[in-house]
Amino acid sequence: MLEDLKSWFSINPYSLKAKEKEELLKARLLSLTEHHRKKCSEYANFLRLIDFDNKKISTAADIPFFPVRLFKEYELLSMDRSEVFKVMTSSGTTGQKVSKIFLDKATAMLQQQVMLRLLSSFLGSKRLPMLVIDSPQVIKDRKLFSARGATVIGLSFTARETIYALNDDMSLNMDNVNYFCEKYTGQRSLIFGFTFIVWQHLYKELLKRNIKLNLPEAFLMTGGGWKKLTSESVTRQVFKSKFNETCGIRHFLDHYGMVEQTGCSYFECGHGHLHVSIYSDMFIRDYKNFSLKKNGEAGIIQLVSALPQSYPGHSLLTEDEGIILGEDDCPCGRKGKYFEILGRLKSAELRGCSDTYATKF
Amino acid sequence: MILMQQNFNNLQFLVGTQNILEELKTVPALPIFAPRMTEFFSAFSNVILKDRRARNFAHVTAYAYWIRRASLEREKNMRNDFIDSRLGRGVAFHIAPSNVPLAFAMSLTVAAMAGNASCVRLSSREFAEVEIICDAMNELLDTGFKDLKNYFLLVRYPHDERITEFFSELCDVRIIWGGDNTINTIRQIPLLPRSVEFTFADRHSVALIQSEKYLESNAQDVAKKFYADTYDMDQNACSSPRAVIWTGNATDEAREKFWASLEKIVHADYEMQPIQAVDKFSAACMLGMKNNGVKLVSTDNFVTRVEVDALKSSCMDFKPGGGCFIEYIAKDWSEIIPLLNKQCQTVAVLGINLQDFRKWVISKGLRGVDRIVPFGETTALAFMWDGFDLINGMSRYIEV
Repeated sequence: MLEDLKSWFSINPYSLKAKEKEELLKARLLSLTEHHRKKCSEYANFLRLIDFDNKKISTAADIPFFPVRLFKEYELLSMDRSEVFKVMTSSGTTGQKVSKIFLDKATAMLQQQVMLRLLSSFLGSKRLPMLVIDSPQVIKDRKLFSARGATVIGLSFTARETIYALNDDMSLNMDNVNYFCEKYTGQRSLIFGFTFIVWQHLYKELLKRNIKLNLPEAFLMTGGGWKKLTSESVTRQVFKSKFNETCGIRHFLDHYGMVEQTGCSYFECGHGHLHVSIYSDMFIRDYKNFSLKKNGEAGIIQLVSALPQSYPGHSLLTEDEGIILGEDDCPCGRKGKYFEILGRLKSAELRGCSDTYATKF
Repeated sequence: MILMQQNFNNLQFLVGTQNILEELKTVPALPIFAPRMTEFFSAFSNVILKDRRARNFAHVTAYAYWIRRASLEREKNMRNDFIDSRLGRGVAFHIAPSNVPLAFAMSLTVAAMAGNASCVRLSSREFAEVEIICDAMNELLDTGFKDLKNYFLLVRYPHDERITEFFSELCDVRIIWGGDNTINTIRQIPLLPRSVEFTFADRHSVALIQSEKYLESNAQDVAKKFYADTYDMDQNACSSPRAVIWTGNATDEAREKFWASLEKIVHADYEMQPIQAVDKFSAACMLGMKNNGVKLVSTDNFVTRVEVDALKSSCMDFKPGGGCFIEYIAKDWSEIIPLLNKQCQTVAVLGINLQDFRKWVISKGLRGVDRIVPFGETTALAFMWDGFDLINGMSRYIEV
């Protein structure tokens, strides 16, 4: 399986134009479909359900997809349980079901390698010191990785030095922050955290204590969505200008991704566009019949990834809505699609008898 | 009772007042189908039908027709033998569901015709339908029907166990709508030893079609009725069929015609939200992933159809609503028995004699099937519900 991907590593992940990429990706996705059919009985049943015929696949977009939600309902593995190397979970709030993603060593390695390759296109290939806006607790439970922990661990492998900015109770560890700033001001560095945590536990804390930091060369890398912040009327623009004011930050690197396709993250370039690499692709689907939407039209996001070998997650229908802004022509020079996320699909409020509200009387 | 003097400051009165709440316990019970109650409901029907707003809600007008004098008299006549011997139990406490706006009205009507005063806890979710009903009720109770004021109390309150406890201790009949979770939660709160309870749990329903008879009927008319049975309530009511079972020798032709006619109406009338497409597809995938004889045969996401090669009770576990159907071709009725379990409420039939099917259900000793109705009548209001004769259940028989 891994052999398929060997040649990919000699290619710059944002260098292929649509046609060249399509050939490469289609072949890999077809081979993954066949692999998962053999190894995962639920996936084989799924292919039967939709009457799948690999002879009818002419483009990567024809590869069947199923709802990402199913990883919350079923444990789906394309390997023997004895080969499980780690289990990743989505960071759901209490009471919510979480996705469980089963990784073997090969898939975990692949995710790691690809994420770093993609990141280096934005940060350069030098190892950078990293300030994690989270508590060291986030990586402690090694058996059950959350999306937050997995990203932190992935990044810390390549970091020159990793410093945690928060204490276990999520309060600001000012000693650590000062240490990092003094040592690395004027040097390129990475600050990483989930959007809401960065805002809540770094920005708001600094503001409260009336402290300013000076990190003009740092990249502030964020992820995890904007829903909570937009509900507090904090737009991306506000976020950026506030961090510029309090920390002197000029470089922002937001990203989009999901635990079900770790490794294939989508990073934001200097033009504010999220980019698709050669390792994955995005298709926008019409809710009426799941047909493909054109670039520029909003719809449900389907994501394909070349990486998942140990679980059948190479083609998934998400519950996010997005819009493909263009392909191969972003002014930043990267090839491939670039897009915008519009947010979660609104959940349905149905009539009927089953109770949705009445949990507590 | 000390609780009687309690003022709940988060209790909102939509019909009735604090005074009426305090009098509730001493209101005289009425005989079943009391003439004064029939007068009230027939006037109520007129007021609702005159309200311009009601025209936008088919379920509101259907309710108004159900409570008109002729309809109530018909029900009464069926119980002529007991008119002089049955008296209401006293106070009925209704817990209305959050997503069927008119269930409370039916519940309230049945309790009143059985001779009880009612206290209804309405869902905090606001519906225009509820407002229309409450306005009409207030209008009548403030004018020609002041004498019945003490029989109707409609309230709203946020989750507050103390209030639910208070009403549960006060009532003689408790009626819980709203599904298994609600029932389990409220059942933690005890009733008085003599009080009775009706619970309307999560149920499922099935449609059964004889293919040759279907082909003899008007396809568009059948599609309209089936739409009313399902999509009208987002296919999320207990009585909305989620499985469609075919019998007879013309199933291929019948199925093609049936679904094509339904799709036409759904495309024109149903407002599907994007997430529903994902919900329905997820349900189909979940069923398909755990069973290998399942095929997704829909033409698009408006009518999701999953064909199964065997019926198991687990087929009904997936209920996304919004038009997602399990489909099966049966050689005979006995193949459907796995779906006709305790969970099964309504069987909507087409081209099959209602009495014949009931005879068969009884002969098999099935644990499910409380209602057998023609297409288009799954949501009909009734004095019998979920297998209970509510008039008898909410009144006492006085033996001489």
